[in-house]
Amino acid sequence: MEKIKYEKPSISKINAGMPSKFGLPVKQKVISEIDGIKVSSLIEEYGSPLFVISEKTIREVFADAKRAFENRYPKVQFAWSYKTNYLDAVCSIYHDEGSWAEVVSGFEFEKALSNGVNGSQILFNGPDKSKDDLIMAIKNNACIHIDHFDELYLLIETSRELQMKARVAIRVNLDAGVYPIWDRFGFNYENGDAWNAINRIMLAESLELIGLHTHIGTYIMVQTAYAIAASKLANLYMAIHRKFDYWLKYIDLGGGFASKNTLKGAYMPGNETCPSFDDYAEAISNALISSEIPHENLPVLFLETGRALIDDAGYLLTTVIANKRLNSGRRSMVIDAGVNLLFTSFWYNLGVYPTRELGNAEESTIYGPLCMNIDVVRDAIVFPQVKTGEQLVVERVGAYNITQSMQFITYRPNVVLINNDGKTQIIRKKESLETFKQSELNPKRK
Amino acid sequence: MKITEEVRISDNGFVFNSRTGDSFNVNPTGLELTKLIAQGHDFDTIKNMFLEKYDLDDLTFEKDFYEFCALIKHHQITSQEDPLDFK
Repeated sequence: MEKIKYEKPSISKINAGMPSKFGLPVKQKVISEIDGIKVSSLIEEYGSPLFVISEKTIREVFADAKRAFENRYPKVQFAWSYKTNYLDAVCSIYHDEGSWAEVVSGFEFEKALSNGVNGSQILFNGPDKSKDDLIMAIKNNACIHIDHFDELYLLIETSRELQMKARVAIRVNLDAGVYPIWDRFGFNYENGDAWNAINRIMLAESLELIGLHTHIGTYIMVQTAYAIAASKLANLYMAIHRKFDYWLKYIDLGGGFASKNTLKGAYMPGNETCPSFDDYAEAISNALISSEIPHENLPVLFLETGRALIDDAGYLLTTVIANKRLNSGRRSMVIDAGVNLLFTSFWYNLGVYPTRELGNAEESTIYGPLCMNIDVVRDAIVFPQVKTGEQLVVERVGAYNITQSMQFITYRPNVVLINNDGKTQIIRKKESLETFKQSELNPKRK
Repeated sequence: MKITEEVRISDNGFVFNSRTGDSFNVNPTGLELTKLIAQGHDFDTIKNMFLEKYDLDDLTFEKDFYEFCALIKHHQITSQEDPLDFK
C-alpha cells in the first residue's frame, strides 16, 4: 500500500479580535530561480551562503532612473556610489552605462582609477581626505567635494605646493524638512557657513569652484525634501553668479533615494510606499527649472544614487541549519547567513522567501549562524515549516551588504554575477584560511 | 502526559481549552497525534502507527513528535499525568 505524504504536525493559536491589518493572508511568495537559473543549481555549484548579483536587473533599474531624469532635465549625470557596492564587476557595469564614480576615501579613489575611470570623472566626497589623498585627487583632476574648513585650508596649502589648480565643490548641509538634519557633513546653508566657504574658495587662486553638493540623508521617503534642497542650492548658485559673475558647472544632489526594502517599524511595505524615480525626478527637475537660474545656464545635475539602483539586483542564497522552538513556544530557525553578511538587517525587515511552495506558515524568528545573541535576521516573519537543508532566498540585498559584510567567525562567501547572457561567474571568491594567512604575521617565539 | 480535562477536540481540527479560554487550529497530522495522545497511546505505539501510515522516517517523526508535545504542553493542552511520580 502506498504511504500517505507526511505533513509535520502543527498547532496554531487562534487570536480572536486581532485580525491582520492587511486582510486575509496572501499567498506565500516563492523565489525558485534568479534570471532563469535555479537557486538549487547556483548553491550546488557555488556553495551556501551565496551572494548573487543580476546584471540584467542592474541595467534595467539604471535605465529606469536615467529615463526618469533625462525626460525632465536637460543635463543629467549619474555617479556610481562606490561605497554602496564596490565590487569591480559591479562598478564596471555602471561605468559601462555611463556613470562616473563617487568615492569617499583614498581606497575607493584608487579603485575607481583601477576600474579605468578618468580622474576628471571622479567625485571625491567624504570627511576623511588625507594630504596624500588630496594630492592624488588634484593630480587626477578630480572634483573634490570639500567637507570642512580644515580640509579647505589643507587643500589650498596642497594645491599651492603642487602649483596645480584643484577643481572643487563644497558640500552643503541644509534643512530640507527631513529630521534629524544631517549636519555633520559639509557647510551649513542656513547659518551662512556655506556662503563663507564659497567666498574663501573664490579668493583662493589655486582652487576652482565648479559645483555645489548636498546629501540630505539616506532612505528619504519624501521627494519634496529634494525639491527644497535643489531650491536652496539654486539660490547659492545664483548668489555666486551675482557676486562673482561666474557660472558653476554643476549641482549635485547626492544620494539617499529609498530602495524598495521595508524599514523596521514601517506600517506598509517599502515597495508600496517609497517614491519612484519619476517622483524624485519630478520634484528635483521642477525645483531647478522653476528656480531663478536662466535656462541657458542650468547646471549639470549630478546624482549619486546607490541604494535605489542596486538593492533589487542583489540576492543572498542561504540554507536552513536547524529549527528550534523557543521557550515562549515561538518557532525559530537558524540559517547559514547572519548579520555578518546582512548588515542591512539591522534596519530593514528583509524579505526572506522559500524556493518552493511550503505549508504551515507560522510566525517565526530567523537567526543567523553566529554564536552571538544579536544575530537575528528577522525577529518576526510569517514563514512556512522548513526542514534542515531547505534553501531560502533573501532579496534586495545589493546595497551595502557586500561592502559592509564582516569577516567574523566564519568566511565570507562567493559572490556570483549572472550576466546579461544568463551565464554565471564568480566576481569575488569565498575566503579561506589562506586569505588571512596572507596578511597576518605571527612573531616567532623561542 | 495526558490531555487536560477541560480540552475539547473537534474532528475538523478545532481545539478549545475551557480552562484558559484559548482556541487552536491543528493540522490533520496534529489532530491525529492529539487524539492518539488523548487515547493514552505511548510514544512507541504512535511512532509505529505513523511510520506504517506515512512516508516518514523514524528520526523525523521523533523530532516532530517531541516538538509538538512541547507545544501542546506550552498551550496547557496537556498536563503531567502524575507530577509526584512516586508509585
